Amino acid sequence: MFHVEHYDVVVIGAGHAGIEAANISDKYGLKTALITKNYSDLGKLSCNPSIGGVGKTHIASEVDILGGVICKIGDKSAIHYRVLNLSKGPAVWGVRAQIDRDLYSQNMKKFIKSSKIDLIEDEAINIIEKNNKIVGVELSNIGIIKSKAVILTTGTFLNGKIYFGNESQEAGRIGNSSSKALAKFINKNFKTMRLKTGTPPRIYAKSINYDVLEPQISENNGIFLSYFTKQNTNIKINCFITKTNNKTHKIIRDNLDRSAMYSGIIKSQGVRYCPSIEDKITKFGDRNGHNIFLEPEGLNSDLVYPNGISNSLDKKIQLKFLRSIKGLEECEVNQFGYAVEYDSVDPRELKNNFETKKIENFFLAGQINGTTGYEEAAGQGIYAAIHAAIKIKKIKFNEKVFERDNSYIGVLVDDLTKLGVTEPYRMFTSRAENRLKLRTDNSYERFSTVINPKSFNKLEYSLISKNINNEKKIFDRLTQLKYSPNDLMKKNIKVKKDGKVRNGFEVLKFLDPSTDKFKKFFNLTITQKLLTKIYFDSKYDVFYEREKKSYDQLNKNKNMKLTNIDFNKIPSLSKEILEKLNKHKPENLHDAGKISGITPSALFQIVKHKKTKGNKVA
Amino acid sequence: MFKSGTIYSNFTPLVKAPVIGYRISGDDVLNILKKITKKNFSKDHSLIQIVKIYQQDETLLDECSVVYFKSPKSFTGEDVCEIFLHGSPLIASQFEQLLKDLKVSGLRLARNGEFSYRSVLNGKNSLKQAKAINEIISNESFSGLEYNKRLLFDGDIFSGLVPLKEEVINLFSEITASIDFVDDEAFNFNQIKKKIRKFFSNCNNLLQENRTNIEQKNICRIMLVGPVNVGKSTLFNKIIDKDRAIVTNIKGTTRDILSNEFIISSNRFEIFDTAGQRSKQGKIEKYGYKKAQKISTEIDHFFVLIDQNTKKSDISTLFKDFMIHKNYSLIETKSDIYNYKTKNIKINHSFERDKIYQKLKLNSIHRKYVKNKYKKTDLNLEEIEFLERILEYEQDIVNEKDILIIAQLMRNILDDFSFEFGYISSEDVYDRVFSKFCIGK
Repeated sequence: MFHVEHYDVVVIGAGHAGIEAANISDKYGLKTALITKNYSDLGKLSCNPSIGGVGKTHIASEVDILGGVICKIGDKSAIHYRVLNLSKGPAVWGVRAQIDRDLYSQNMKKFIKSSKIDLIEDEAINIIEKNNKIVGVELSNIGIIKSKAVILTTGTFLNGKIYFGNESQEAGRIGNSSSKALAKFINKNFKTMRLKTGTPPRIYAKSINYDVLEPQISENNGIFLSYFTKQNTNIKINCFITKTNNKTHKIIRDNLDRSAMYSGIIKSQGVRYCPSIEDKITKFGDRNGHNIFLEPEGLNSDLVYPNGISNSLDKKIQLKFLRSIKGLEECEVNQFGYAVEYDSVDPRELKNNFETKKIENFFLAGQINGTTGYEEAAGQGIYAAIHAAIKIKKIKFNEKVFERDNSYIGVLVDDLTKLGVTEPYRMFTSRAENRLKLRTDNSYERFSTVINPKSFNKLEYSLISKNINNEKKIFDRLTQLKYSPNDLMKKNIKVKKDGKVRNGFEVLKFLDPSTDKFKKFFNLTITQKLLTKIYFDSKYDVFYEREKKSYDQLNKNKNMKLTNIDFNKIPSLSKEILEKLNKHKPENLHDAGKISGITPSALFQIVKHKKTKGNKVA
Repeated sequence: MFKSGTIYSNFTPLVKAPVIGYRISGDDVLNILKKITKKNFSKDHSLIQIVKIYQQDETLLDECSVVYFKSPKSFTGEDVCEIFLHGSPLIASQFEQLLKDLKVSGLRLARNGEFSYRSVLNGKNSLKQAKAINEIISNESFSGLEYNKRLLFDGDIFSGLVPLKEEVINLFSEITASIDFVDDEAFNFNQIKKKIRKFFSNCNNLLQENRTNIEQKNICRIMLVGPVNVGKSTLFNKIIDKDRAIVTNIKGTTRDILSNEFIISSNRFEIFDTAGQRSKQGKIEKYGYKKAQKISTEIDHFFVLIDQNTKKSDISTLFKDFMIHKNYSLIETKSDIYNYKTKNIKINHSFERDKIYQKLKLNSIHRKYVKNKYKKTDLNLEEIEFLERILEYEQDIVNEKDILIIAQLMRNILDDFSFEFGYISSEDVYDRVFSKFCIGK
């Protein structure tokens, strides 16, 4: 008899979701295996060499404070920083780091090796379940390994197919075969859909004429991806900006029939917010030019990632249009752009803990759930693993932290499992109703009830506690200080003469958030970082209340469950409304109200039907 | 919220009239009809029938027309019947007593607006349409009437708020894009603020324009003046013809002066009768005359009634007392008795009402004083109140420098529009964002 390994958690796929899942499962003391088809691909940045940005940083910072690795390894491997939206409030600051691909992979491998995770290089070919409960995983070489839970994070590898012009081949990404065996299992058991994404060509750095291009210099105002990063000593590189022009547009327009996407070969749904250059020219061809960001792939890499021109054109056409662009006149291509088509699971197959509804202890996370982006994947990986740990170890956990008014991960989980997707899902800050509260500078506060000391090293954990204590001290002092309108007038602060005595925290929003002014006014010393944070807490305080006054709040029945209702049996609903309700299958009245075009009268009719007919009509 | 149960109410006023109508709506309608008419109506959807209604002691209450509408093909979407009793308030009271005596559980008098509420609940009307019905009934101007009819019959998309809804979605989309996709296109905060101010000024303009249109004068006020016994009251009664004219409002007590509203060929008038003028007035008469003088500033046109006995000095006193300049017609009464040789309007009590209207040139008088009476309205009163609520955000948003707070407040406005037109979700906003801006790399 062979010896069969028994794990608590087996994670299939070692991308950004898989790594976070394996890591947190390990940190929660679970015996964990991480399966990858190809050791060298562990933690590979398969698309653009950058982490972060508006919305993306927001998820990443939550992963970070939950004990994840994406931000820490990201900072370690960063060679260029920018902070987007710096002129706006910190709720939407988005630090973005250019990452050295090789450094990132090396750092990630080092990290996994230093952990207790069993890293297995093999191909998972089947999921073993009995009576709709997970038993284990069958690997191509090793055979069956048993596990209490399985987290599947196979990204775009399920029935992956890549396209250049009229050429196509089966692959999850260039150079990697797709997972057909697993795809069979998934397609048999779950509702899947075909999604599409694309990637631009890679250009040799030395073939680019940088002299004629505008550089973008690294700058981060002391803001890093990770809460724990104090500095980055890597050499910083410049990125460069160039633009498409009318000549480029003409070449592309004339050759749309040689694009996999436009010639009709690919039929699956693409991404509206990540359009291919073909899309941009077709929809916005009247523009003078579309920006291209030339992002070096690493300090020692001779490749450049031209962000902004993903396409699935014939290789010859790609070269032709590239060479029409300023600075790229003599460029040489290492790897042409292509489109990828892959299967993803309808995320409504998942419970809100990311366990499949059909098979117990079987979790799905990452791009397989119809999302896009490293950060979105990482967020799901950590979320699925935490919930696997909650189930296996029966951990008490404050689930409120993952509600949509408290975290972006909560927004993502709620959107995916309730509304499903029609295109790869990316996080935007505008998806969060509670945007003013969901900030990267207060993740530690929002997650304070679930921060697991074992997920951090001593230094990191003491930093969190020190900062929290420090903030509490200042906050307590501020709330003890009292000011009448008269006191404030004397200090040149204009407030309503309402006779209301305000405490220091309430007064803070009337000041300039500079440490000097703060010291002068309150006679307290504070760091700029903390001051910025509590200043905006003070400023946004009233709006947290106002947000609660939204559309559904006026409806007393918002928690009414709708899972057993057959909407078709409500004769008074219009065809249009019916279609929407059947498509989205809202769980309760609140969710129904949040579907586009659902009218208050439609909600009335549902309530009435439910109250008179109850659940009998199923 | 209203409760369930079968409801009834009269839909005509309970006054002496040819007909008094009752409507009953709910699950028990067939049951009730069976009890009071001894007849089964279940197969008689929308048929008008003349039936006998019996009281509890089997005596006849009335013989009248009844029509039954089977659910869901009725105004409320429930079973409905309408009963047209002979127009005696006494019969009506017997009828209501009968309904009470039936002891049908849950049967009760409907509350205000309850039929409309049920029609919304059952998807027969949108909220906006139900409100439009209400506005149609209470409407006092023809332009407003036309607008509400359009809303009711053609749907919400004809609302004057639709362009503002589109504008606010576009604006919110741009704000959203400028935050989430700051890198993709060149967004300009000042431009956005400019558009925000434009949005509010558009709200304001629409509001003002329609408020003036709705509140705009569409009524022509006429006052009858003249010496005692010249025939003012006779003419007054003839004009408002209690039996046949469309008389919409009977005043008289509030102003201590008799006045009436009436409509001729879509023109609204209010006519005032005054106490007669004579040199020696009693106390009460004097009081009434003074009152009339006071009101005279609001009067558009005067009918100055005279006869053969009227002296020139009486006429000039009248002109002085009521400050009449050019806005008058001289009318000579009792033309059947006296033989006038002037070009003034001559009338007498034997004239039919229509002939009087013609002689007095009421329609051209209306045209003279009421301008633009068919000016189009694009909002009803409900929507005007809605816009007033939206405009309450103006100061907060326009003075705010933090785009995130602006975005939050604009989202509140979107939610307010959601109440009028159905939920505007993030997806609707993203649709706009991705079609208007080239987003993504």
